[in-house]
Amino acid sequence: MPNQSTTHQHTLGSRVFDVLNIALLSFLALITILPLMYVLAGSFASEAEIASRPFFLWPEKFVTTTYEYIFDSGTFVRALLTTICVTAVGTVVQVLLTFTMAYPLAKRYLPGRTLVLNLVIFTLVFTGGMIPTYLVVRDLGMLDSYWALILPLAINPFYLIIVKSFFQELPQALEEAARIDGCNEMGVFFKIVLPLSKPIIATFSLFYAVGIWNDYMSPLLYIDDSKKWTLQVLVRQLTSPDAQNAMAMLESVFFPTQGLKFAVVVIATLPILLFYPFLQKHFSKGVLLGSVKE
Amino acid sequence: MATDLAPPPTRAATKPGRRRERLTFRTALLRYRWLYLMLLPGLAYFIVFKYLPMYGVTIAFQDFLPFLGYSGSPWVGFKHFEELFNGPDFGRLMFNTLILALLTAVFVFPAPIIVALMLNELRHSVLKRSIQSLVYIPHFLSWTIVASLTYLLFSVDFGVIATFFHELLGGKKIDYVAQPDWFRPIIVFQLLWKQTGWGTIIYLAALAGVNTDLYEAARMDGAGRFRQFWHITLPAIRPTIVVMAVLTSGHLLDTGFEQIWLMTGALNRSSADVFDTFVYYMGITQGAFSYSTAVGLFKGLVGVLLIFGSNWLAKRLGQRGLF
Amino acid sequence: MSASRRRRLVAGVLTLTAALLASACSSGGGGSETDSSTVTMMVPLFGTAPDPKGEMQQAVEKLVGKKLQITWVPNADYNDKTNVTLASDKMPQIMVIQGDKTSSFVRAAQAGAFWDLTDKLDKYPNLKNRDARTVRNSSTNGKIYGLYRIRPLLRSAVVINKQWMEKLGLKTPETVDDLYDIAKAFTEKDPDGNGKKDTYGLIIPKWPSPQYGSASPYDVIETWFGAPNVWGERDGKLVPGFDTPEFIEANKFVKKMVDEGLVNPDYATLDSAKWNDPFVQGKGGMIIDVNVRGTNLLDLLKEKDPNDFDKVVTVGNLKRSDGKKFSYPFTGYNGVIAIPRQSVQTEQQLDEVLTVLDKMASKEGGILLSNGIEGRNFKVQDGSAARINQDDPKIKVVQQDVEKAFIQLGTTASVGLGAYPDLYADKPHQDQVTLRNKLAEEDLKTAVHNPALPVMPPTAIAKGQTLDPIITDARIKFISGAIDEAGLKAEIKRWYDNGGTQIAAETNDLVSKLGN
Repeated sequence: MPNQSTTHQHTLGSRVFDVLNIALLSFLALITILPLMYVLAGSFASEAEIASRPFFLWPEKFVTTTYEYIFDSGTFVRALLTTICVTAVGTVVQVLLTFTMAYPLAKRYLPGRTLVLNLVIFTLVFTGGMIPTYLVVRDLGMLDSYWALILPLAINPFYLIIVKSFFQELPQALEEAARIDGCNEMGVFFKIVLPLSKPIIATFSLFYAVGIWNDYMSPLLYIDDSKKWTLQVLVRQLTSPDAQNAMAMLESVFFPTQGLKFAVVVIATLPILLFYPFLQKHFSKGVLLGSVKE
Repeated sequence: MATDLAPPPTRAATKPGRRRERLTFRTALLRYRWLYLMLLPGLAYFIVFKYLPMYGVTIAFQDFLPFLGYSGSPWVGFKHFEELFNGPDFGRLMFNTLILALLTAVFVFPAPIIVALMLNELRHSVLKRSIQSLVYIPHFLSWTIVASLTYLLFSVDFGVIATFFHELLGGKKIDYVAQPDWFRPIIVFQLLWKQTGWGTIIYLAALAGVNTDLYEAARMDGAGRFRQFWHITLPAIRPTIVVMAVLTSGHLLDTGFEQIWLMTGALNRSSADVFDTFVYYMGITQGAFSYSTAVGLFKGLVGVLLIFGSNWLAKRLGQRGLF
Repeated sequence: MSASRRRRLVAGVLTLTAALLASACSSGGGGSETDSSTVTMMVPLFGTAPDPKGEMQQAVEKLVGKKLQITWVPNADYNDKTNVTLASDKMPQIMVIQGDKTSSFVRAAQAGAFWDLTDKLDKYPNLKNRDARTVRNSSTNGKIYGLYRIRPLLRSAVVINKQWMEKLGLKTPETVDDLYDIAKAFTEKDPDGNGKKDTYGLIIPKWPSPQYGSASPYDVIETWFGAPNVWGERDGKLVPGFDTPEFIEANKFVKKMVDEGLVNPDYATLDSAKWNDPFVQGKGGMIIDVNVRGTNLLDLLKEKDPNDFDKVVTVGNLKRSDGKKFSYPFTGYNGVIAIPRQSVQTEQQLDEVLTVLDKMASKEGGILLSNGIEGRNFKVQDGSAARINQDDPKIKVVQQDVEKAFIQLGTTASVGLGAYPDLYADKPHQDQVTLRNKLAEEDLKTAVHNPALPVMPPTAIAKGQTLDPIITDARIKFISGAIDEAGLKAEIKRWYDNGGTQIAAETNDLVSKLGN
């Protein structure tokens, strides 16, 4: 890996590049983090402070009323647990389905492969729409079931095709060896290919997990029982511009505050953010390709 | 070098079978039974959840009403397509959508690649990880929040950034978020801010797959850092770039409704109106299921053409492409 | 890690998660069969969903004498859920409809999805004597497809910084000229006394809706100048409000204020969620909006400085220079409650459901749905609802259930309207509410109603709202100086050319058919 300093000669040009590179990346990180700091600071600031200071990175007075408001509703913990469960199970199911389908599609010699690929690509741009999908989910008896949050989105065609092309880049030699040892294709996939694909599995686990975590539409449409609501349903309505609009114009009971919006962002993203560093080690580790000569 | 060039010598096929050999359906099924078995669950998924609901596109030719359903809603033929293509707004919508698509392709698409490569060259691993974990967070903010942050920072009255530029450049204060000329740069900037970090993940995964020995060998041969980058790093992620480019091209006309809608105001609407927002205004009173499906079909058609076209192009340029 | 250990691990993770899913996630979910002792409903929700066995729901069940099975739907995407529900065969018996003037609801109703209630209500004491104006506004082409959910009819007001007024020795405004004078003084006479010219008079945000006549400050000022409220009669036929000289006059007035710097410079882009901010910061001194903005501002100012927050004064609609007064009213309701025919099939079943709605529309029903349970979460004091026991977690739940959920089921009552108004703890808030109600009552006499609210011209439906932005954009372009008066008139002509002519003809036709 290039981040191991032994790989590089420390020429002057190389050092200059390093300095520039670090400076530029730090600048990028800075412009990313400043607005986020505002969101975080705002979630701990009083509504009056948000209204009276245009931009700040640290609240003058720490208040936790917004968080208390969110945690106060007894449903928060249940929604959080539900979401974690559904995300965990869903990610495993979706990754498994995607990777098993991608593997045969990576085999160019497989008859019928092009047809299936064409079918997949077609769904990338055409969808039946919200209502027919709802009716299918209903006919499968999945309304009010957590499977409705997992299965209808089980394979993202976009991801499927990327995984397929990653598989195509894997070296052939190990697979060959396993076949000679008497493994069938399924055995090769589970014993050889998947272990070789750790960074990709990590990546797509993250993508799928985030997808389920952030999914708001599926629970809204498929889950009637408010006890089964996920975190996103619970919190999104508080930040929605529609709610705000409706309130300002027609209702007199409730104005969602800006601090609440910020707190909701923090609460709804923090758990899934913690997931990333955990996966990150797989990105920097690289795969066990050292043993294979291309 | 890669899996798809040679079929595996299975026991069912003892002769060194080549690709061009014609297989009967039955022998193929038998020979590749494990592969087909693996394909099956995925295929079932696509049939049930993607193709069964596909009859929904027929509402583009109806005046669809949820209550009347797919069989009960009246058929109107190509009415919605005529409305779309002959409407006074079509040219402007197409122009605005295409310009935004072009800007996205030129500025937003390469950004994650560049940042991923920069991160990859970073030797300090703690720094690398920290920066990486910071830049991907904005992906999790909703467009509502991003839009209100933008208005906050660029406000002509009190915006931190607007004031900074004003003091730097002098002259008259510019209301960036109101001016049609600044609409597209702001949209691009928002996209860059929100999605670049997230986009790097896929390229970093591709870079993680590079064989370390290759760098070792190159270094032995006396290859400098730039040559290592040019001959090893870049080729390693090129297939990923190509696949991403081909796939993204299918969504060229999708501009993301929410972002644009939130940034549109009375003064910049001339640059801001795109298909997605126009459909929304149609929908306020109309429901517009049929109209938006018609627009979706049109965009999908363009998308399919672009995917196959760019795939063909990629292959002509010697890349693997999607197939 | 060996392959077999890995597989065991994967299997372990799978079983664990499956077990979790089975245990932690699958509680609840009872059967959904209904009999005549249960009423099913679909209702928008602004907070967390009430517990079906909670105190509040039990109280409502006791009131109507039936079990309730309520599907609470987050308000933000209520319409999407409405559409899939319409397409499925799982319709509730009582359905809150938010877009009661959208073609998807009206066409569905005309196709028989909902009961036509036009002459079904006379039997029910609490449903028959409803506000005539609001009944008219909420009807569609002469038919009533749902019971309106009442809101105050007159809500427009001007909210002004009281301390600035006192400091500069200004009187509360009565005419638009006074408004201009105050804005000028607020901008130029250093009302905050910091020696700098860093204040402005009027705060206007970027209006989130591009619809014409959506209660923006522009719409309100136009009405004050005498322009019709969306539609109005000129020479015996209805014309759109923007096709009148008063419309141009009003916007010249706003333009003058903008040109002289009396309005916040970012009026075209200020986030409407941040409308309060310049007022709280002491940068801007006036807001033209709904009257509850006044108490909203007091809340913020009190949070900022509990000892010195009495900075808000509300005035009602303003007179034109010649002393004539035209006030801007709202529609008087927010969506309707409709009854699907699929789940309520016979007249007898309809009677049962209407009886339930009638009970909810009674005096005590309205109080229960809007204020809560008397003696539990509030008590009556000076004709207002004073909150009590708010520290008790159980009562807090009741309060939340009322405010964020059950209030949405109120038809003939809402807070302070057929139900008790809230009693505030401090005097400035209480004065605000008293004053607001007095002003609203006074302004209602001069309200300019939109005669075309009950009609839906087919061309307007077909064109969607794509025509409206022509006008609302042109208005702001004119104010900002991007186009001149001729340009504004050209845009109005463009509205007519792109379908407006038909809309006007159809509107005239439909309204004349309605009579009165």
